[in-house]
Amino acid sequence: MLSTLLLIPFLGSFLLLLWPDKPPPGRMRTIVLLVLIAQLLWNLVVLKAFNPALPDLQLVETLPWLPGLGMEYRLGIDGLSLPLLLINSSLSLVTAVCTRDINERPRLYFALLLIISGAVNGAFMAGNLLLFFLFYELELIPLWLLISIWGGVDRAAAATKFLLFTAVSGMLILGAFLGLALLTGVADFSISPIDSDHLAMGSQLLLLGALLIGFGIKIPLFPFHSWLPDAHTQASSPVSVLLAGVLLKLGTYGLLRFCLGLFPQAWALVAPWLAIWAGVSVLYGSLAAIAQRDMKRMVAYSSVGHMGYILLAAAAATPVSIAGAVFQMVSHGLISALLFLLVGIVYRKTGTRDLEVLRGLLNPERGLPLTGSLMTLGVMASAGMPGMAGFISEFLVFRGSIERFPLATLLCMVGSGLTAVYFLLLVNRAFFGRLAITPPSLAEVDGRLDIRLAAVAPRETIPALALAITVIALGLLPAGLGRLSETTSIAMARLPELGALLSSGGVG
Amino acid sequence: MPVISELLTHRGGMPSSLELQQQLLTGSTLLSESEENLIEVVDVLHSYGEVLDAYSRNLIYQAEAQFLNPFPIFRFLDGDLSFGKIWRHLCHDRINFEYAEYCMKTMLWHGTGGLDAYLDSEAFMRDCSAIITRKTKGDPLLAILHPLFPNFLPEAIRAAATTNALGQFWRVMSDLFIDLAQAEAQGSITTIRTLVDFLRQGLVAAAGQPISYGVTVGGDRFWVLPPEAGLTFLADVAVPYVEAVFLRGTPFLGTVSFNAQAQQISPDQGKFSYGALYADPLPTMGAGIPPSLLMQDMYRHLPQRLHGLYLKRTRGEGDERVKICMSFQKAMFCVTNAAIEGTFPFDLASVDPSQQAANQAHAAAWADRLATARTDCLAVVA
Repeated sequence: MLSTLLLIPFLGSFLLLLWPDKPPPGRMRTIVLLVLIAQLLWNLVVLKAFNPALPDLQLVETLPWLPGLGMEYRLGIDGLSLPLLLINSSLSLVTAVCTRDINERPRLYFALLLIISGAVNGAFMAGNLLLFFLFYELELIPLWLLISIWGGVDRAAAATKFLLFTAVSGMLILGAFLGLALLTGVADFSISPIDSDHLAMGSQLLLLGALLIGFGIKIPLFPFHSWLPDAHTQASSPVSVLLAGVLLKLGTYGLLRFCLGLFPQAWALVAPWLAIWAGVSVLYGSLAAIAQRDMKRMVAYSSVGHMGYILLAAAAATPVSIAGAVFQMVSHGLISALLFLLVGIVYRKTGTRDLEVLRGLLNPERGLPLTGSLMTLGVMASAGMPGMAGFISEFLVFRGSIERFPLATLLCMVGSGLTAVYFLLLVNRAFFGRLAITPPSLAEVDGRLDIRLAAVAPRETIPALALAITVIALGLLPAGLGRLSETTSIAMARLPELGALLSSGGVG
Repeated sequence: MPVISELLTHRGGMPSSLELQQQLLTGSTLLSESEENLIEVVDVLHSYGEVLDAYSRNLIYQAEAQFLNPFPIFRFLDGDLSFGKIWRHLCHDRINFEYAEYCMKTMLWHGTGGLDAYLDSEAFMRDCSAIITRKTKGDPLLAILHPLFPNFLPEAIRAAATTNALGQFWRVMSDLFIDLAQAEAQGSITTIRTLVDFLRQGLVAAAGQPISYGVTVGGDRFWVLPPEAGLTFLADVAVPYVEAVFLRGTPFLGTVSFNAQAQQISPDQGKFSYGALYADPLPTMGAGIPPSLLMQDMYRHLPQRLHGLYLKRTRGEGDERVKICMSFQKAMFCVTNAAIEGTFPFDLASVDPSQQAANQAHAAAWADRLATARTDCLAVVA
C-alpha cells in the first residue's frame, strides 16, 4: 500500500519524461495535476487504513535489497509520518496548481516536482536509515535545479549555497548513520533506540551532534540558516511553497525520528542545551525578520523562528510537546505555504516585494484586497491567534515544554510575540495607507499616482483560499490531527525515560 | 520576469498656476479636447444629473416635511412609508442620500457667502423666534429642550435652511446636466469648448434666480429665507457650494488619515483643500469616505456608453467607481471652468488695461487655488 505512494509520483515523472513529442506546458501541467491528485487520494486511502491507536510503524512493507550492506527496502508509517505525508501530497498539489507560465523546460520542471514529492514520501516512510538517507538526498538535486533554472536574478549563487549547505547536511547524517553501524557493530541500519550498554555515552553524543547539525542545517536552525533566506528569495513562489511547507520538515522529522528516536539517553542529557538553542533560534529568526524589507525574506526568517519551536518541543519530549511539534510541522507547512503564495501574487502583480515601496495594497478597487485579506489572516495564524492552526501548535508546544524548560519556553513565547511585531509591520507597510508601488516621495506627488495593477483572477487565489480554510479548520477542529499523532507522541515521549531504564537494567 | 513599476504607475501633468491663469485668460478650456473626454464628461454629468434630481427632491422634502423633527428616521423615504420602500431601503437598494447631507453640513460648517451671512442676521433670528414659539406650543419635547439649549433649535433651522437652499441649487444643476446630455445627443455639443459654454450659459441664466424658503408650523406659514432677504442662486448658494464642496471639503478619514495635532490640517478653514477637485480617486470605496457614496449612486445611473468605455480600461467593471471619480473630477473642472468664465468681471476681449487687470486678478486667484488640485486628470485620457 505504501509503495504506491512512491510509484505514483515516480512513474508520473517517468511518464512525463518519456512522453512522445513535445506536449504543450498546459497538458504537462494537467498530467502532473492528475498524478498529484491520485497521490493525495491514495494518501487518504492510507489514512483510512491507518490505526491511530497503535504506536508502532504500521502498514509495513519489507523487501530485502542489499542485505550485505544492511540496506533493506522497509516502509512504514506512524502518527509522526502520516500527517507529514498528507502535508506533502497537499502542498505538492498546491505547488503544481500555482505553477503557471512555465515556458522554459516545462517537462523537466514538472518531472522534478514529482521526483521531489516522491522522494519526500519515501523519506517520511523509510523504516531503514540508509533508505531514509537515499530519499533525503534524492530531493536535493531536483530542488537545486528548480532554484537554479527557474529562480530569480541571483539564482546561481543561492542555489549553490543551498547545495553546499544541504550536501554538508547529508554528509553529516550519512556519517552519523555509518558511525552508528561501525561503533555498535550492527549494520542493519534499523531505527531502534540505542542504549549505553551498546554504545558509550561519548560516542552517542558525537553521533547525536552530527545528526543535530545535519538536521539543524536542513530545518534550518540558527546559526546554520543562512542558505534559507537566499534560497527563498531566489526560488519561484511555487518552489518556495514546497521548500517551506514540506522540505524543511525533513529536518524536523529527522530531529524527532532519528535524534530522539536513536539516542534517547544522549538526547535527555543535551535537552536543556537544545532548549536554549531553540530559544536563541526563535529570537534570532524573529529579530532578523523584523529587520527585513523584502517580504519573502521576512517570511523566510519567520520560518527560522518557527522551526525553533519544534526543537524546543523535541527537547522537552513530553507527550504534549511532541504532539505540539507534529502540529507545528503541519501548521507551519500550511501557513508558510499560504504566506509564500500570497507574497508570490504580490510580486507577480507589482514587480516588487520591497516593504519600503509597497503601500496600500488593500485598496478595494485598484489594489489586491483579497490577497491582502488572506495575508492578514495568514499572519494572524502565524502569530498564533486563537481559532487558527498556529495557536493550537504553539499552545501545545509551550504547554508541553514550560514545566521542563521554563526559561527557554518563555524565550520562545517572546519570539511568538515578535511574530506579531514583524508581521504587523509587513501588513501595515504593504497593505495599509494610500496605494503605491514606488518609493515614497512628496505626499502631493504620491497622492497623484494612478496605479494600474492587474486584478488577481479568482483562479490565482483558489489555492491560497484553500490553505486559509484548512488553517482555520485545523484551528477550530484540531482533534482529528491530535488523535492521529497522540499515541505516537506518547510513545516518543517515553523514549528518554525508556533509555534511562534500559541502561540501569530496570527493564528486561 | 518581474513587472516594472513605472509601467503600472501613471502620473498626469500638473500645470502651474501661471499656465492655468493663461488658459483661463485666453478662453481655452481647462480640460483638454478629446472625444473620450467629451463622452466621459457628458455621460458622467448625465448620471450626476439623475442623482442630483433625487438628492434635490429629498433635500427639499426634508426641509419642508421633516422640519424640526427631533427623530427624522424616515427622512430618506420621501414620505413613502410603504413596506416595499422600507424593505428596499434596508436592503440598500436606494440612493445614498447621506451624501447630500454631508454636502449640506460642509456648506453649513464652512459658511461662506450671502446665505451664511443671512443665517447670522437679526432678521433671521427674529423669524427663528417666531417659528420656535409656535413650534414649542405643540411639541412638549422641544418646549423642554429649547430653554435648556437655546442655541439648538436656531442651529437646526439654519441646517434646514441650508438643506433647502442646496435642494434648490441642485434642482437647477440637475436640469442643466440632463439638458446637456440631451443637447449632446442631438449633436449640438461636440467639443469640450461647446460643453463649457453650455454650462456657463446655464449658470448665467440661473444666476439671479431667487432663493427663498418657507415652512408651515401648526398650520401657520413662516419664512425662514424670505424673498426680502434678496438671496440669489449664483452668489448666495452656488458660490458657497463650490467653495465648500469643490474646494475646501472636509478631511474625512479614509485610507489616508490626517493628524490635526501634527498640523497636517490647517487651522485656517479657508486653506482647506479636501474638496471634490482635490480628492484622491483611489481611496474611494475605502474606509467610509463619503464622496464614495456619490460614486456608488452614479454607478447605478451610468449611461451604457460610458460603462462600455470603462470596461475597456484597467480592471473593467472591477474599478469602475474609481474611473467614475476620475471622470467626475474632469466634469467638475468643466463646471468650475464655466463658473470662472461666467464670473469674469469684464469681457475677456476687453482692451482696457484696468479691465484686463481685473480679469487677470480674477483668473490668478482661481489659478492659485486650482494649481494644487487634481489637475493631473485634465490632460489625461486614461
